[in-house]
Amino acid sequence: MPPTFYMKKCTGCGLCDSICPADAIYMKEFEDTSVPYLKYPDECWHCGSCRQDCPEGAIEIQFPPDMLCI
Amino acid sequence: MELIDLSADVLIIGGGLAGTNAAMGAAEKGASVLVADKGNINRSGDIGGGVDHFMAFLNEGQEWDTQNAFLDYVETIGRGTGHLSIIESVYCAELPDAIERMARIGNPLTQADGSFYRTQSMGQPGTYWINFNGKRLKPCLGKAVRKLGCTVLDKVMMVNLLTHQDAVVGGIGFHIRSGSFYILQTKATVIATGNTNRLYENPRINPFNTWLCPFDTGDGQIMALNAGAALTNMEYMRMTLLPKGFAAPGFNALVGMGGRFLNSLGEYYMEKHHPMGNRAPRYEVVYFTLEEIRKGHGPIYIDCRHLNEDDLIHLEASLGYDKDTLPDYFEQRKEDLRTKPVEITVSEGMQAGPTEVTGSGIKIDKDSAATVPGLFACGDASDHNRCVHGAVTGGYKAGKSAATYAKGLAHGDGAPKSIIREEIDLFMKPLHRPSGYPYRQIEDAIRKIMAEHVGPMRTKGSLKCGLEKLQRIESYLDEMKATNFHELMRAHETRSILSVGKVMATTALFRTESRNKPYHHRLDFPDTDNTNWCGLVVFRKDGDRLSCSFEPTN
Repeated sequence: MPPTFYMKKCTGCGLCDSICPADAIYMKEFEDTSVPYLKYPDECWHCGSCRQDCPEGAIEIQFPPDMLCI
Repeated sequence: MELIDLSADVLIIGGGLAGTNAAMGAAEKGASVLVADKGNINRSGDIGGGVDHFMAFLNEGQEWDTQNAFLDYVETIGRGTGHLSIIESVYCAELPDAIERMARIGNPLTQADGSFYRTQSMGQPGTYWINFNGKRLKPCLGKAVRKLGCTVLDKVMMVNLLTHQDAVVGGIGFHIRSGSFYILQTKATVIATGNTNRLYENPRINPFNTWLCPFDTGDGQIMALNAGAALTNMEYMRMTLLPKGFAAPGFNALVGMGGRFLNSLGEYYMEKHHPMGNRAPRYEVVYFTLEEIRKGHGPIYIDCRHLNEDDLIHLEASLGYDKDTLPDYFEQRKEDLRTKPVEITVSEGMQAGPTEVTGSGIKIDKDSAATVPGLFACGDASDHNRCVHGAVTGGYKAGKSAATYAKGLAHGDGAPKSIIREEIDLFMKPLHRPSGYPYRQIEDAIRKIMAEHVGPMRTKGSLKCGLEKLQRIESYLDEMKATNFHELMRAHETRSILSVGKVMATTALFRTESRNKPYHHRLDFPDTDNTNWCGLVVFRKDGDRLSCSFEPTN
């Protein structure tokens, strides 16, 4: 389900949360750091803004099976 | 709940392409400006992730490349759906400054060598599309707006306009994370909230998998309507052609470069049906594609295999400008433009302008003013702006006009706060119900009703049935439950979507002819009647009374 966050690269800056036009990405606390997660995956418009703006290149886009197969 | 009171000369509702240009227009005229957006203005709206096209005449010497030729084109494909005098004022007159402004903020419409890369499609007499890399356009606009000193309220959804003595004097809304409630008192207000999506059942399953921004839900049009403003062209159900599983724009790029529409019989059907072939107006392409599918000639494809190497290289390099993730989609779906046609299909329906050059929504005049004092509109939410070019030019125009209006007023005397406080509880109600229906359950029903009864093949009977069912589902709006402010936002969007659906069905019932089929196709009145219907259907709400009237454009 896009986007996918690569936690080894993510610094938890929260920019993806700030700019997501769907309000789909939220931050949560995990092992004393702040990490992004996709709270509303169905509402992602696949605009790619999060991937474009991520300063660490920690976001990849993976389309779900329904979009790839119909 | 925290209450935040702010005041300024101008409030911009919606910080997409039109809204950010409006903010620049107002601020550069010296006004103090508030911008409220459900998202973050750096990436919100239809082109948040990027864009690749801008329509313009450039006076570069060709006969078709002038203002007069452009207005002839508007008249030809618009078929009476817009006043040329207004388009001249809000688009043509603003065009040179708009092109300069995009360069000034750091995202020029030119290629690296300073030239314009121009393509032709959608019934244009020449290469009116400027193909460019607009992936940084929204971040650049967001930066420019903040640099001009505008107060930007990201993640704030406006839910109602404030009126006082029959004029609009600001608006109220809430922060979609914190729930803080904003009371924004301004002398002038500009609505720039885009068109209405998530309105029809989606052929790609997920209602958020839409061509245009799924977070544009007609909020501004309905706020304006409730404040007494007139709407026009609301009967048009816009559609386009898109990749089968992903509602990514790309039509302009593919057809502009020479892509050909292909049916499953191996026929390039548009070349048979229309003198302009694949470059026919969009509504004609959609109409004939629906016909092909109805005749059993589907699936439908777009074929780019014949393009020369230079064009293919340009296409592959620029395909992600309009939708950043489209190249990923093609790769993951194993599509290859060079070796096989790409399956496409007709998009979901939406409420939007009947062409790329005539809009729908809030009725505006030559100064982008709505029919209520203090209210202005631009972009896809207004009836004489459309698409990227309309948002950039018309947005700036609306901002300038709002600033001029605000300067001409004495110190604003806003709406009494006691009334505003009473309204706040009303808008928060879905949060406080112990139980209720999720917004999605109501919205899915609206989409089903719209698709089955208010779709591209309409009759008096279907539209009346659709209206009755929409009224039935309306009675459940007050039973929606939201568990957080995000869901509260979606619940308010559902209300707007339903209201737009009702306006659409009512105006479609009123226009007893067909125009720009399939965008308004009455099976019981299949012909275009230019004697009686060359013009705009104007919709108004006066208290509980709804009315339609006709305004000729000739």
